[in-house]
Amino acid sequence: MILGILETAKREMQRLVCRRIYLLTMVVIPIAMSLFFLSLLNPGLPLKVPTAIIDLDNSTMSRKITRSLSAMETIEIAEQATSFNEAMDKVGRGDIFGFFLIPEDFEQEAISNRTPTISYYSNLTYFIPGTLAFKGFKTIAVSTSGNIVLTTLVAEGINPQQVETLLQPVVVQDHPIHNPWTNYSIYLSNSFIPGVIALMILLVTSFSICSELKQGSSIKWIKTANGSILGALIGKLLPQTIIFSIIGIFCQSLLYGYNHFPLHCNPLVMIYAIILFVIATQAFAVFICSLIPNLRLAVSIVSLIGILSFSITGFSFPVESMYGAIGIFSYIIPLRYYFLIYVDQALNGLPLYYSRWYFIVLIAFPCVILPLLPRLKRALSHPVYIP
Amino acid sequence: MRHLIHNISKWTTSLYRVWRREFRLVFTDAGVVIFFFLLPTLYPLVYTLIYNPEIVRDIPVAVVDNCRTTSSREFTRMVDATEAIKIIGYASTLNEARQWHAQKACYGILEIPEDYGKNIGRGEQSSVIFYSDMSLLIRYRGFLSAMTDLSLATGTKIRQKLYNSDSQPINSSSIILGDTTQGFASFVIPGILVLIIQQSLILGIAMLGGGANERRLMNRGIDPLAVKAPATATIIGKALCYFTIYIPLVIYILYFVPIFFNLPNIGNIVDYLLFIVPFLFSSIFLGMIFQRAVTERESSMLIVVFSSVVFLFLSGLTWPRYAMSKLWIWIGNCIPATWGVEGFIRINSNGATLEQNTLPYLMLWLLTCCYFIIVLLSELLTKVKTPYNHS
Repeated sequence: MILGILETAKREMQRLVCRRIYLLTMVVIPIAMSLFFLSLLNPGLPLKVPTAIIDLDNSTMSRKITRSLSAMETIEIAEQATSFNEAMDKVGRGDIFGFFLIPEDFEQEAISNRTPTISYYSNLTYFIPGTLAFKGFKTIAVSTSGNIVLTTLVAEGINPQQVETLLQPVVVQDHPIHNPWTNYSIYLSNSFIPGVIALMILLVTSFSICSELKQGSSIKWIKTANGSILGALIGKLLPQTIIFSIIGIFCQSLLYGYNHFPLHCNPLVMIYAIILFVIATQAFAVFICSLIPNLRLAVSIVSLIGILSFSITGFSFPVESMYGAIGIFSYIIPLRYYFLIYVDQALNGLPLYYSRWYFIVLIAFPCVILPLLPRLKRALSHPVYIP
Repeated sequence: MRHLIHNISKWTTSLYRVWRREFRLVFTDAGVVIFFFLLPTLYPLVYTLIYNPEIVRDIPVAVVDNCRTTSSREFTRMVDATEAIKIIGYASTLNEARQWHAQKACYGILEIPEDYGKNIGRGEQSSVIFYSDMSLLIRYRGFLSAMTDLSLATGTKIRQKLYNSDSQPINSSSIILGDTTQGFASFVIPGILVLIIQQSLILGIAMLGGGANERRLMNRGIDPLAVKAPATATIIGKALCYFTIYIPLVIYILYFVPIFFNLPNIGNIVDYLLFIVPFLFSSIFLGMIFQRAVTERESSMLIVVFSSVVFLFLSGLTWPRYAMSKLWIWIGNCIPATWGVEGFIRINSNGATLEQNTLPYLMLWLLTCCYFIIVLLSELLTKVKTPYNHS
């Protein structure tokens, strides 16, 4: 059997070199996509959200608010609007992601205790800039109110230090564990790059297996492996496993080495994880091919699953909050377990013990599909291509 | 003059014949039917169902209360009452809480220091510490806004108790535009819908091209199912065929899906349907360009599928375009979905008019023209390579 595996591996390597599409999908696309994400998200946080201010009061106080707004790190006063309608129009045109409105006679009413209302509008149709604008506006609104209280109370004779406490008696010290910069690239690159690798593994595995069916070369393939389907599969997929693992480790080196993203575990743990993840994803593709031994359908289905897995594995929206009937599908996708290992090990630096199940599941993927292999062998022994 | 009229009518006839033949090709190819019909029908539903719970509520949080006074317990109760946070229990030490976090029993830890109650009683500033898991930023966002609101509310409350002055000198009101519920599906789905239209068009057209190529390979360079027609009629005829197929689909995707799931849909339907016309044509011609790169039906998917992720990011839906570097902005400018997503979101979610979206609208027409010219040139060039003797 070993001989058969070696022969098949040799045959497979020839096949891989023969077609440009393999070079493109196995090497060029994963690396290019990693560079794409890292370059696109390089700033970490999209600071300086373009916003506008409508100052209908034009008093000392309102100008002070404008100054504090433009001093904020997260927002930038890109436009001056003279009316509410003008600002709304700018939101509709996409020039600004929110605006801050100071009403007429604001200073006068504030000083004479008539409680004027300042309002701020944040456009949440774009989540990140909308949220950043909202946060900036809110901070200013609160501190403006605080400053006025401070002035009044100090005038009443209360110790300024005590007033400071009164403004904010409870301070919440916020500690984002291991990502204190709230860097979006750490979060998005670490989930989307493995996602792209998984997508390419699924596509290449099912394409390379089922195109043997289309070309009618599958009988020869099985024969090279001395008639053993297991040997044939191992021989065929092993070269791909090696290539994808090297690419995966290279992408990890971009993340953790070149970009210094959090890696609070032994690097070997993540390397093992990506190798197991590559094998588990290949097994998943073999599973689909055994169920539907047809090139076009198998490739269509793995591409649909590959794209959906970006959402369903819960990178952006947690699985616990999804509907149960939908969230359950995240557990059959190898990508989810790799992501959980990354969170536990690289990001949170937990003891390996807590991630044991994720490793076990990744190892289980190739074992679970073994009973389906006779079915795949039957299909491969009688290749029919239905266009 | 008569000659001209004759030519025009001949051109129109061949245009019609191309259109009719392409219809037959689309409906007789199971793969294309999947991409043209099944995918745009089901994907919007599946995607929306994934994100439809919209808001992350009651994220488990552990409390380490080193103070153990009425005021610290009251603070904990208030934390528990927020929408985002659910207190799962008291851990005796920070280490115990960290263990809970390691077991994924909680995603945040609230630590109340020993002197919390004492400081409050004395009228001094006191602080609480919140540790938040950073694996998913949506959880962090929930924690942060809940804790900030709470800190402000406690401030007001304590101020009232101590000085009996509810002197809130200024009211402030926050108005959320577009995605008023701040839900996740309401934010992401309108953009995804537009992207689905573009990608399904490109995939289907690329697969049709792969099929034609395979037929040519089997017939010594001649596709027996192609209609003999001038290049312009071939391209426009095919484009019109796909356009006709997509009109009902677009109405279903952009009008009905947001209504089904109660997503933002305050746009004027005439505005966004007019807006989507150049989007469809530019996507169709972009698909025809992709078609050139495809030699085989199935390999089309290997190349096209991953591009969905690229186009999603370039459109600025997840990462805003103003923060991108010039290079990515320019590449994004060349993709119909970038302008399509931008325009449709503004019309649909912000109630903008077509006039406010002049730039995306004109850019889409520009892309349509550019891509048409590219397709036309490459069609003419390949015509020279494989002369047509077939009728």
